[in-house]
Amino acid sequence: MRIFKIAFLNLVFYPLFIILTLVAFVNLGSLVLFLVLFLPKRKIFKLIRQAIRWYGAVIIRILPYPLIRLDYKNYGTNDPAGPYLFVCNHRAASDPFLMAVFPYEIVQVVNIWPFRLPALGIIAKIAGYLSVREIPYAEFAARTQKLISQGVSIAAFPEGTRSRNKSVGQFHSAIFRTALETHAAIVPVCITGNENVPPIGSGFLRPGIIKIHRLAAITYEQYKGFTPFKLKNYLRDIIAKEVKIMDRQ
Amino acid sequence: MVSEQEVIKLTNEVFIDSFEIEKSKLVPEANIFTDLGLDSLDVVDLVVALQKKFAVTIRDDERIRTIRTLGDLQQFILTIKKEIGK
Repeated sequence: MRIFKIAFLNLVFYPLFIILTLVAFVNLGSLVLFLVLFLPKRKIFKLIRQAIRWYGAVIIRILPYPLIRLDYKNYGTNDPAGPYLFVCNHRAASDPFLMAVFPYEIVQVVNIWPFRLPALGIIAKIAGYLSVREIPYAEFAARTQKLISQGVSIAAFPEGTRSRNKSVGQFHSAIFRTALETHAAIVPVCITGNENVPPIGSGFLRPGIIKIHRLAAITYEQYKGFTPFKLKNYLRDIIAKEVKIMDRQ
Repeated sequence: MVSEQEVIKLTNEVFIDSFEIEKSKLVPEANIFTDLGLDSLDVVDLVVALQKKFAVTIRDDERIRTIRTLGDLQQFILTIKKEIGK
């Protein structure tokens, strides 16, 4: 029975994923070309990022349902107003799509390879996503500060690369330096379950539950005076503890 | 001339004061990146702190790029101090 479920999931998901991506790519491209004539740049970026959020929501919530389900818990209901710096652990290539659960205008900090994907890489570039390893830190800092001042949240995976086991790897400090410069609230985001759907090294989707826990924001008042090194390890400890609990459940 | 023991002690102080790393982790074979958790931006902070601590200029020294462990770093500082002392 399980093998039929896996076959069904893959036979349905991938063709729909490719069709939806192509449709979204063509429409988004046309929309940008059209809007650029009438709207200010800022407004266009906002619309593009909104469109990406809708696209991501369909990919993660609708296409694989009910064989892959999302279990999203928000522990940040008393958080101060954004924009936020979402700091997430990173186990699977699907993590960037999961950012669609957050109802904000978000720019993601990505590694080199997502920018090289057909269609998706171009969309990421158009949306102003930040390829952190391809730009000098000074430019990264300037761009993230500008985004925060515009009210745009930023999502980052500071492990930099997918964790090969269930531990949380060492964090890179770039996003935490942005926090110390902008005073933005940092939201720890813990993701588990998608490392198995599909497992690393395999393209086959498998039925399962993807858990996303949005923890309470760490405000500037809580982290001011920290060094970037201390701040990154503080967030890493918070995420690692929660991920351990989520894995046990 | 600064002794090897003094270099080790002062280097460890930089890691403790600037990065709040526990003393027990500061063993010569500890990898600065994977064991102590520094990244390329933290290394810039480390270099600044070391320059201040030892009153040396090392930021443009190409040998820094080959350093991986705390022991490598301590030997590098010792070499620099010896070169200055000549």
